[in-house]
This record gives sequence, structure tokens and C-alpha cells, in this order.
Amino acid sequence: MNDVDSSQAVFRVRNLVKRFHSLHAVHDVSTEIHRGEVVFIVGPSGSGKSTFLRCLNLLEEPTSGEIWFKGKQINRPHADINRFRQQVGMVFQHFNLFPHLTILENITIAPVKTGRFSKAESVAKADALLKRIGLYEKRNAYPQQLSGGQKQRIAIVRSLAMNPDVILFDEPTSALDPEMVGEVLSLMKDLAVEGMTMVVVTHEIGFAREIATRVMFMDQGRVVEEGTPDRFFDNPENPRLRDFFSKVL
Amino acid sequence: MQSVISWIQASWADFSDSFYINFVKDDRWKYLSDGFLVTLEIAFFAVLLGILLGFAVAVIRSTHDKTGRLRFLNLLCKIYLTVIRGTPVVVQLLIIYFVIFGSVNVSKVLVAIVAFGVNSGAYVAEIIRSGIMSIDKGQFEAGRSLGLSYLQTMVYIILPQAFKNVLPALGNEFIVLLKETSVSGYIALQDLTKAGDIIRSQTYTAFMPLIAVAVIYLAVVMLFSFLLGKLERRLKNNE
Repeated sequence: MNDVDSSQAVFRVRNLVKRFHSLHAVHDVSTEIHRGEVVFIVGPSGSGKSTFLRCLNLLEEPTSGEIWFKGKQINRPHADINRFRQQVGMVFQHFNLFPHLTILENITIAPVKTGRFSKAESVAKADALLKRIGLYEKRNAYPQQLSGGQKQRIAIVRSLAMNPDVILFDEPTSALDPEMVGEVLSLMKDLAVEGMTMVVVTHEIGFAREIATRVMFMDQGRVVEEGTPDRFFDNPENPRLRDFFSKVL
Repeated sequence: MQSVISWIQASWADFSDSFYINFVKDDRWKYLSDGFLVTLEIAFFAVLLGILLGFAVAVIRSTHDKTGRLRFLNLLCKIYLTVIRGTPVVVQLLIIYFVIFGSVNVSKVLVAIVAFGVNSGAYVAEIIRSGIMSIDKGQFEAGRSLGLSYLQTMVYIILPQAFKNVLPALGNEFIVLLKETSVSGYIALQDLTKAGDIIRSQTYTAFMPLIAVAVIYLAVVMLFSFLLGKLERRLKNNE
């Protein structure tokens, strides 16, 4: 990925630090995420990977460092954070669908209320996305009536409805029953194949190997090793990475 | 047998005499109906004012708790809550009537609406705030991550869910408010309670007018509880 022109970078992160009181959750991370990349972040729990991901759309405010999105620094005073977030999707471990809204309303509320798309456009887009994932008949149901896998796929569709430049996934399958994991992964794979830029924090190492274009291994708040899946998985150089794989693979 | 029948006849005669004197004679029932309307008027508008104030205070307080902004407004809200919840409503009513509006001529009903509305707002605020706090923080993050502003997330995502969660507590607060308006007599306002008292003082019988007043309050509260239960069930079905 080093040959890609850095003006193509969707995200450019410089010396990112996030401290919770005395705890260094993220410690001096610098990286770039380019259009079309599928970046997987793996590592033991408490390694700071989720915090790093949440810093990317400022759900956590970085303690220091710079985050640039499409050529603009977004973690500075008076940056238009709402506008920036409209272009960055986020999928959560616990789905976080809105329980008081129907599936269709869950998908259309953000594009309509932020003025990104008209009501008619949003509904048409939502319907098309729902048909695509085979949940069109659930459009008037409420989240509680759906299975975990269905909820997470709706959550993915909800972020897609904003037409984002990049989608961040924060352990999207960790809260699912094993038999539901497959449907979510297969939707994510489809998106990756279509060229969606994705940053994924996950424990699904096998899945990372399958669709990642780049894998980052984090430990104690730092990126310890990073590279293409082949090199990363077949030839782990770092002893901590080898140790991690010996436990999860 | 004979004596039982004559006892029933005598009792019935007493009852109908008393009923006649207390409600029919000189159109005394009009005290009750007029007072009832005043009570309803005060309660209705005080509830509206209370909800408005309560929502505003709750949103300011939770915004401060979540983001650390609005320090000054938060301080004002805290003073408001402390003063209102720390003093009896009758004293507040008297202060508003005799001190704050002492030198201007305003309708007593308006004074009562302001007093009970401002009083209720403090309790509603804490109820709504507890509702806001009961919503999972992931809901807030989901709204913000989609690009909705703080206020949009509050209005479209958080408050509807918070409202549903605190509906029983809110309903209780409105029942309390309706009954609290019975102290309006302290500023010589002829509400339902005062009406019963006026009849008692004219007829020198306490039982009939006071029981009638109690029954009317009870009926309104029961009707309100019934409607509230219906609303709760309807909102629950939406999930």
C-alpha cells in the first residue's frame, strides 16, 4: 500500500494518543487508511484497538495527535464534526439500533434529519438495501422482533444509507450467537469486494485473513506489527504476535 | 320488622333532605361544578408548564453531565431544584401571590398555574433526567456517529425512549399535582376543595359536601390512571 499517493488517504493519523487518566489506551499511533483498503485491527483485549477505532470518528476525543479526514484535520476546535461523521459509518458490537423506531425509520432518520438526502431518496435507498440483504419484509418491524444477525445487518445498512466514504466496525460479531456470525461476515465481505473502505476491529482472525488488505496488530496501545495478511499470518516476526496467534488460532 | 322499615324510611328522608340542602337548594351544586372547572383549568395548564420547564431543566442538566458545557445554566437549574423541592408548595403559592405578584393585579387562577407549574417542573425535571440517564449510552453514540447533532440525537433518539421509560412516574406526578391544587383556597381561589368548604359553612353539614369533593377527585384520578394505562400499553406495543 506504500505506493498509493497519500492524497488518496481517507484517514491520516499522526501520533495519536488517548489517555484515560493515567492509562495509555492508545500510545503514539500513526497510520494512513486509503480508499478501498480493508484494514483489520487485531490484538488482545485491552490493547487499545477499540479505543483507536472510536478515536477515528471522535467518539473518543484524542488526548493528542492529529486525525485528518480527506485532507482536513478534524480534531481541532470548530471543525464541523457532524458533517464529518455523516461521511464515516460506524457499526457497533451491540448494534445500537433505535428500539422506538421501525427498521425503515432506523435507516432513514439520519439521512433525512441531517439533510444528506431527501425523504423520498432515503426511503428508496433503504428499500433497495433491505431487498439486497433479504429483509425488505421487515421494514415496518421493530428491532426487538429481529434476530441478532438481522439486527447487525440492519445496523450495517443504516450506516450505508448515509453513503459513507468509510465504515468503522467495532467488533461487529462479538455479541452474536455463533450461527448468526456467518450472515454478518458475508455482508461485510460483499462490501469489501465492492471496494468499500473499511476499518475492522475483530477477533475473527480467519475472516481477517480472508478479506483484509492490511492487518494491524496492536498491543498495549501501540501498533506492534502491520502488513498484508500473507506476510502477517504466515511469517509473524514479532514474538508478541506469535504468542497471540498461538492462543487464538 | 316494622321498626326496620321505619328506620330505613327515616334514614332515606334524612339523606334526601341533606342532599337537597347541600346541592339543590340555592343551586349550591354550582359551587362544585364551578370549582371543579377551576381545579381542572389550574391542573391542566400547570401540567403543561411543568412539562415544559421539566424538559428544559432535564436537558440542560444532562447536557452538563455528559459534556461539561452549560455550566451557568446548570447552576441556575440546581438552585431552582433545591429551592422548589426544599419548600412546601403552599408557602410557594403564598409567596408568588403576596410577594411576587403582590403589587400587580393578576388573576388568581394565573397565579395558581404559575405556582403549581413551577413546583411541578422541578419534580418532572428529575423524572425526565432519570429517564435520560436510563438510556444506554450506545444509543447516543449511534445517533452521533450517524452525523446527527447533539440536539437532534436528544430530540429524535433519546427523549422519546426516556419519556416512555418514565411515563408511570410522570403519571404519578400529575396525579399528585391535581390533588395539590386543593390548597388553592389559601389565596381565596374557589377551586373544588374550597367549593365543598363553602357549602359546608353555609349548611353546617360536613359529610355530604366533603365526601362529594373527595369522590370527584377520586373519579378524575381513576379516569386519568385508566387513560395512562392505555397509553403505556400502546407505547409498549411499538417494540
